[in-house]
Amino acid sequence: MAKDAFDRRAFLKGAAASAAAVIGTQLAASSAPAAQTESQGAATNEAAQPRDRIILRPGSDFMVDVIKATGIDYIASNPGSSFRSLHESIVNYGGNKKPEFLTCMHEESSVAMAHGYAKAAGKPMGVLAHGTVGLQHAAMAVYNAWCDRVPVMIFAGNFLDADKRRPGVEWYHCVQDPALILRDFTKWDDQPVSLQHFAESVMRAYKMALTPPMGPVVITVDGDLAEETAHDEKKLRMPKLTRTIPPQGDSGALAEAAKMLVAAERPVILADRVARSQDGMKQLVELAEALNAPVADIGGRMNMPTNHYLCRSGDRRALVGGADAILMLEVADPWGQLFTISDPHHEYRRFAKPDAKLIHISLGDTLTKSNYQDAQRFLPVDLAISGDAQASLPALTEAVKSAVGLTRRATLADRGGKLRDDYKRMKERARQTATLGWDAMPVSTARLSATLWNTIKNEKWCMAVSGMQWNRTLWPATEYYNFIGGSGGAGVGYGAPAAVGAALANRDKGIITISFEGDGDLMYAPGVLWTAAHHKIPLLMVMHNNRAYHQEVMHLQKMAALHNRRMDQASIGTTIENPNIDFAKLAQSMGVYSEGPITNPSAVGSALSKALAVVKRGEPALVDVVCQGR
Amino acid sequence: MMSRFIFTLLFIFAVATAFAQEKISGSPERGYQSYMKYQCYTCHGTVGQGADRGTGPKLAPYPLPWPAFEQQVRRPRQDMPPYRKEFVSDQELTDMYAYISSLKPGPEAKDISLLNF
Repeated sequence: MAKDAFDRRAFLKGAAASAAAVIGTQLAASSAPAAQTESQGAATNEAAQPRDRIILRPGSDFMVDVIKATGIDYIASNPGSSFRSLHESIVNYGGNKKPEFLTCMHEESSVAMAHGYAKAAGKPMGVLAHGTVGLQHAAMAVYNAWCDRVPVMIFAGNFLDADKRRPGVEWYHCVQDPALILRDFTKWDDQPVSLQHFAESVMRAYKMALTPPMGPVVITVDGDLAEETAHDEKKLRMPKLTRTIPPQGDSGALAEAAKMLVAAERPVILADRVARSQDGMKQLVELAEALNAPVADIGGRMNMPTNHYLCRSGDRRALVGGADAILMLEVADPWGQLFTISDPHHEYRRFAKPDAKLIHISLGDTLTKSNYQDAQRFLPVDLAISGDAQASLPALTEAVKSAVGLTRRATLADRGGKLRDDYKRMKERARQTATLGWDAMPVSTARLSATLWNTIKNEKWCMAVSGMQWNRTLWPATEYYNFIGGSGGAGVGYGAPAAVGAALANRDKGIITISFEGDGDLMYAPGVLWTAAHHKIPLLMVMHNNRAYHQEVMHLQKMAALHNRRMDQASIGTTIENPNIDFAKLAQSMGVYSEGPITNPSAVGSALSKALAVVKRGEPALVDVVCQGR
Repeated sequence: MMSRFIFTLLFIFAVATAFAQEKISGSPERGYQSYMKYQCYTCHGTVGQGADRGTGPKLAPYPLPWPAFEQQVRRPRQDMPPYRKEFVSDQELTDMYAYISSLKPGPEAKDISLLNF
């Protein structure tokens, strides 16, 4: 206690000098050359007592320069002492712009926000976290980003020099190897020990994070390096950042793939994490049309316009079952596209034809690690092409066009009529299925999806997060930004923060971001609602509130049957009732406009319209709809 | 060979239809309670509409004939867990069948403006 009081007095005494120093720092940052800043700092330090010491040009200012040079616009963070200097430099030296500090309430939310942001923005967000407790909180979200092959720039605070650590908490919050805890599911990390080292490693990390297969990276920010004077700044060099061109698959292999596909009578394209842009979608359409082959969009990204007659995602199983050639494009789980395993008896069955030719264009083999099993089950294929799928599409399409002779061209064209009929049947089947339980209470998921579409159909829209398929099945989606895929690793807690991150990226593009939020998922870290309100991030959140960890109910039912035990207790530990969570009040408490809970389906539309008006004003809104399980 | 197969199918259909036409002495009200108690709604929805993402097929309207329904509940195909007599009585099952049989068709897609995509 006495020590604390002493420290506080020392702090207060130094406050006036610090205030002056801030002004001085800003001046130095804006007008004085680096050399002058350095000499001023040295002169001040020479004459002063330790408590009066002023650092005019801390290392963290240069770190901000480096971060700015990458083009990172936002840093998501829950504040922490191990990176306090960088935090301060972002705010005061950097002017809290590009990057802007986003106040988060959990490191898992910080990373999940960055995850959603990256997919909507096409570039990474920074995350700043304690090297120990922060990264431990963040780990699940980092794993999601890793599984989803999404770039996130993580900066981890740490004090490497034990001689300078304050006793107690600071020791708990320091670590010899900060990135170790994430190394199984990050692409690269480094612990720079000088500012030049920091600059080069940040540029390398950024470059690597964005080179397909993309992934999260970690750079440690040493507290002493950040807080102390940036010595010899004249010698520091800002490395030029050059993006790596994604690798196209081997031309000969693509030509071989084209021959196999052209020769097939019933080729099918499975697209997962393919498109990175509208161009990517266009290229996939061109390939599909060149072959007149149906595409099942698995949904890792927005790959294929849902209103195109070759987009047959709803018929994926049947298409694979009948195919004589299957082209997989960056498919995360290739084995699972051809096989099923019964649950819980583990009988597996191949529903694809045994002699179907299999081609996979993927960079999956170039970035795998052993411990976590995101590589999925091994699937032997006839032709494995290492390459970025989007980058390989133009060459593959050209090869297909070259391989199609006049006779074959007529045959492929003849497939069009049936494929158009099949597409219409698929869409009509979806509409008919959507009618089932139309007036049910709780609200059916199909009706909720259709009602939301009716609300946003005249907007530029992005459905950032959804646990239901109806949106992709029913909605006409033609733009790359309409859907951004899922969480990757299916780690709970992704939905709300990822949607907030995507909404931030879409904010300046005039795109209305919407999301279906699972109740269990939102409760992992609901503080992100406050972050959305605080930073005025417009997002229309619609609760898919089924008051349960829904699929876990079914798992318990299966286990009870397997063990020949009573079947009526599956709600224990799996439902979120008694009391029911009032998500509207939860949102209101954090400054988010809300409606609900709504159980009557006819009341959903007007609530969504009111919420949309709020979102169009630039604020978040939440509508709590009590829903059917799925 | 083919004719024998068709005959077998017709026979099964006839038997199933005969059973289906039998008066099932179940109570829809009790059946709803059992349906909720055993959480059938998790996979099949509270009004038997089925579920998104292929979780569970629709049960209503137009349920399976009783023999097929009973067979599927007691000794199911695919991933559905069996609901054995020790834990779900014949009366409860009959009541549940009465419940799903009582569910009427909803509006057709062409009559729902929200489904005009």
